[in-house]
Amino acid sequence: MKVTYNWLKEFVDFDLSPEQLADVLTMLGLEVEGMEKQGCGMDDVVVALVEEKRQHPNADKLSLCRVNNGKEVLDVVCGAQNFKQGDTVVLAQIGAVLPGDFKIKRSKIRGEESFGMLCSEKELGLAEESAGIMVLPQGLTLGTPVFEALGLKDTLLEIGLTPNRADCLSVAGIAREIAAKLGTQIRYPDMPIAESAAPADATIGVTVEAADLCPRYAARYISGCRIAPSPQWLVKRLNAVGMRSINNVVDVTNLVMMELGHPLHAFDCDQLEGHRIVVRRAGEGELFTTLDDQQRTLTADDLVICDAARPVALAGVMGGLYSEIADTTTNILLESAWFRPAAVRRTSKRLGLHTESSHRFERGADIGMVPRALDRAASLIAELSGGAVAGGVVDVYPGKMNPPAIRMRPERAAAILGIELSRQEVADILVRLECSVRETNEGALEVVPPTYRIDLEREIDLVEEVARMKGFDAIPATMPIARVISDRPTQHQRLERSVRDILVGHGMNEIINFSFISPDAADKLLLSDDDIRRTAIKLANPLVAEQSVMRTSLMPGVLEAVARNTSFRTMDLKLFEIRRRYLPTAEEMPHEPLCIAGALTGSRAQTSWCSAPDAVDFYDVKGIIENLLELLHIRGVTWVTDQPEPYYHPGKSCSVMAGRERVGSFGEIHPTVQANFEIEKPVYAFELDFAKLVTLSKPTPNITAPSRFPDSTRDSALLVSDDVPAERILECVRSVKAREIEQVEIFDLYRGVGIQDGFKSIAIRIRYRSYERTLTDDEIGAIHAKVVANLINKLNVSIR
Amino acid sequence: MKHSHSLFLKVTSMREQLQRMRDAALQSIEQADGESSLQDVRVRFLGRKGELTGLMKGLGALSPEERPIVGQLVNTIKDEIESCLESALTSAREQEINRRLQTERIDVTLPGRRLPCGTRHPITLVIEEVCDIFAGLGFSVAEGPEIEHDWYNFEALNFPPEHPARDMQDTFFVDNNLLLRTHTSPVQIRTMLKQKPPVRIIAPGTVYRCDSDATHSPMFHQIEGLMVDKGVTFGDLKGMLTVFTNQLFGQKTGVRLRPSFFPFTEPSAEVDIACVICGGKGCRVCKQSGWLEILGAGMVDPEVYRHVNYDAEEISGFAFGMGIERIAMLKYGINDMRLLFENDVRFLRQF
Repeated sequence: MKVTYNWLKEFVDFDLSPEQLADVLTMLGLEVEGMEKQGCGMDDVVVALVEEKRQHPNADKLSLCRVNNGKEVLDVVCGAQNFKQGDTVVLAQIGAVLPGDFKIKRSKIRGEESFGMLCSEKELGLAEESAGIMVLPQGLTLGTPVFEALGLKDTLLEIGLTPNRADCLSVAGIAREIAAKLGTQIRYPDMPIAESAAPADATIGVTVEAADLCPRYAARYISGCRIAPSPQWLVKRLNAVGMRSINNVVDVTNLVMMELGHPLHAFDCDQLEGHRIVVRRAGEGELFTTLDDQQRTLTADDLVICDAARPVALAGVMGGLYSEIADTTTNILLESAWFRPAAVRRTSKRLGLHTESSHRFERGADIGMVPRALDRAASLIAELSGGAVAGGVVDVYPGKMNPPAIRMRPERAAAILGIELSRQEVADILVRLECSVRETNEGALEVVPPTYRIDLEREIDLVEEVARMKGFDAIPATMPIARVISDRPTQHQRLERSVRDILVGHGMNEIINFSFISPDAADKLLLSDDDIRRTAIKLANPLVAEQSVMRTSLMPGVLEAVARNTSFRTMDLKLFEIRRRYLPTAEEMPHEPLCIAGALTGSRAQTSWCSAPDAVDFYDVKGIIENLLELLHIRGVTWVTDQPEPYYHPGKSCSVMAGRERVGSFGEIHPTVQANFEIEKPVYAFELDFAKLVTLSKPTPNITAPSRFPDSTRDSALLVSDDVPAERILECVRSVKAREIEQVEIFDLYRGVGIQDGFKSIAIRIRYRSYERTLTDDEIGAIHAKVVANLINKLNVSIR
Repeated sequence: MKHSHSLFLKVTSMREQLQRMRDAALQSIEQADGESSLQDVRVRFLGRKGELTGLMKGLGALSPEERPIVGQLVNTIKDEIESCLESALTSAREQEINRRLQTERIDVTLPGRRLPCGTRHPITLVIEEVCDIFAGLGFSVAEGPEIEHDWYNFEALNFPPEHPARDMQDTFFVDNNLLLRTHTSPVQIRTMLKQKPPVRIIAPGTVYRCDSDATHSPMFHQIEGLMVDKGVTFGDLKGMLTVFTNQLFGQKTGVRLRPSFFPFTEPSAEVDIACVICGGKGCRVCKQSGWLEILGAGMVDPEVYRHVNYDAEEISGFAFGMGIERIAMLKYGINDMRLLFENDVRFLRQF
């Protein structure tokens, strides 16, 4: 909502600067989002008198002037011819800055000094074109800044209105708020009407068939109008608030809408079949051309204004093409009506037609303003177009709509706001807001709000008004007295933080991708046709196709983040994301499980003077997962090479099992997938199901006290067939079930020279220790021999 | 007499030998250079095959009367050598340490051997910080679905169908009933339907609106707070938000509440803090106003209580909501929201 400072002053007296006014409005809930000063910074452009004008000695088209600015007489060279000695003109003095950052400097023109410039309207930004300089009316005080002298100094306020404040969509509405806050009165504009003898209802008639959607329809008849351009004051006023001038009649309806907030419509009465108005629901599929020359197909939900034959306007939204005010129009039917907000909104939304009028009606116009706006507009139209207003108003208003009477308990307001409030204070505030207030027997107030405050329906609405008028600043900040609630973060919440901390501790950076992705991500991941992850939830109204389905996997986002970073030549990446994925279910609500995904690529560590950086591989990812599961105290973890996902390299990937539960998978990204995401170097990625980790995590691990006796280690180098997994060797050692085996490690793996093809050398180190005593060499030797024998028997290893 | 004479000779010779050995030992100690040559001295004189051990073998030839006298002498000399050795060793070690301290030097400016560090996302950092502040005020964390039912997202929050207030939030729809939640407020409804007052929750989460430019992202994050109990006032809301903003942005951050409108609260307020960039003087970030809008808040509307079967005459409460991106941008001085979702590690590594 745009309004100017000067315009408001016509409606209400206040002694506030534009800045102070903006602050008052903002603190009333009418947030001033922007202020634009008009004619400011132009104080060096002043009213001046031409005392002498003569020919420039060296130029035919220039004159030399002696100009009086009230303080001194200056020499100015001027090129215009449209003025004479004794005229009052506009002088831009040295130092003035005109629109377009045009700085006025002392200068010499064809040998004659000039101490300023006489300005045209164009140069002042007051007109698009101008012939010659601006000649002012006589009698203005010399030396006054010209914008001030002409009353052009103003401030445009842009107010962000919340949708509940339909009553503030006008100058009067905002003035009412200022008046209520300052405890003063608002002045409405004059609306004298000289009605002619002929009554309106002799010419026009109104029938409302859909009174449920149109409770009130009033009209006046104005004959003998001359359609012409609007006078300058009207054009400027509309331009000031961002509206375009059309003609003297349409401009008046717009002006009154801006002044009083009530949308009006003027019809060319001679185009109305039978000079009649019929308000009814449209027929299903009925066609109608709006004044923007668009043909619209209507439904039975739309309310239309018709003449005796056909629709002439979409009620409260837009008029029709053929009944609009044209240059040839002479007789006018002026409409002032009140339409149900929901009806206007339905039509405006369905047709995508959002107009100044629909904006006001769908938020709720003031039914009490119907006659007032009609009279104001009729009076102005008659004045500007020379028309005659017929006698009386045709006002169809079968059931008077009264605002509700609201029971208001001042002590309730005090209890909700947390302040002391007397009944008198509450009543005073509400009276200032033009409510009628009556005390009831039980000590409550019975409050009837004014018709324009359709947002006031309940006691709580009035409580807010009291708080607003007192000022939120006047309510002291307190701390609540609360009951103790026993609560703590859930296991789920605590583990989410733990997992994040663990991954960060492994040098990984957390990323956040959009939840909606491109539908082709499933193809890029090589998902099979029957993969359930292809059944994603689709958005009905996506912004772009690349963000149109809810992701069923975090993997596309993670890989895109890798691609994006490597495209910026950040090649060493360790990324993770902990977010939801979205899976359709048989029920209405989808499933939104939390997932952990991540990817590693490039070097393990930064290039350093002390060590050469190695490239990350499968075992870096595995190490992270091993640590993660261990820190969550998840036991019985195994790694199953079941080619878990189509987007992994089948030979370099596995499922992560905890007992019988599959908690996730990881591996090297399939080369084709890597290429699909336009990534150059191998990527190692993982995905884990967070909910399963929560279920499997043991909150308290079993702890054993360490032995106090010395240890002893034995190493063995085993030659073993390549297809025996390392895990089986470790299991085979552990299967000996000697309590003295404390730890088994693989400390070397070797293939190559000296080892025959199909075999590998694995070196294991076993640490022996007893809980009861120091073990002797013989005892350890015996156990180790048993371990080795078991390896030879079960896995066919040979000792190197 | 002859016998005694020869004994005398033996004793005398032992003493002389011991004295000579002592002198030699002390001289060797004095001449020794460093710890290892001192250890050599110890071995030469006091070791198992050392000179003193060799001399002590002669003790057996002495008479029982003479043996203790010479034995005592042996012990005296042994103690003397030991103690000399010890003090020489101590000083040799000290010298060695001093030498090392004076000669050993490294370049401390070479980069350290670092385990690469990871980072949490700034959105996560802010969510955790805000939740922690409210945990300290007795609020627990609640969550809800992102693909939400229209009833929870709008209707129960007093946005009737066809209401212009719905225009305030451009909504992504899945179908007629389901949508991507436009705010975290539906978590209020889900919580109140599950439990009776007192309620104190904080609900962080991802929300969506179909809007995208330099200051709007179609996906962003909010934190919702709700407190419902007997006798909770608007003043309490002011108090809580003042404590919160002071914790988040520093003590004595100015807070201003001004009237606004949300369908699910009344009275409703926008909450501004004194601009953290310019301190309230006016700058580009606060558009010269000196204030930054960071929160929406208000007293829970009775219509919301009706939907969750609470008695508005018995209890009262407040709700508030804030945009995490906005807070992160202010806190870290980020001027383009898109940076938060580009996942560029050159950006992320700074947190």
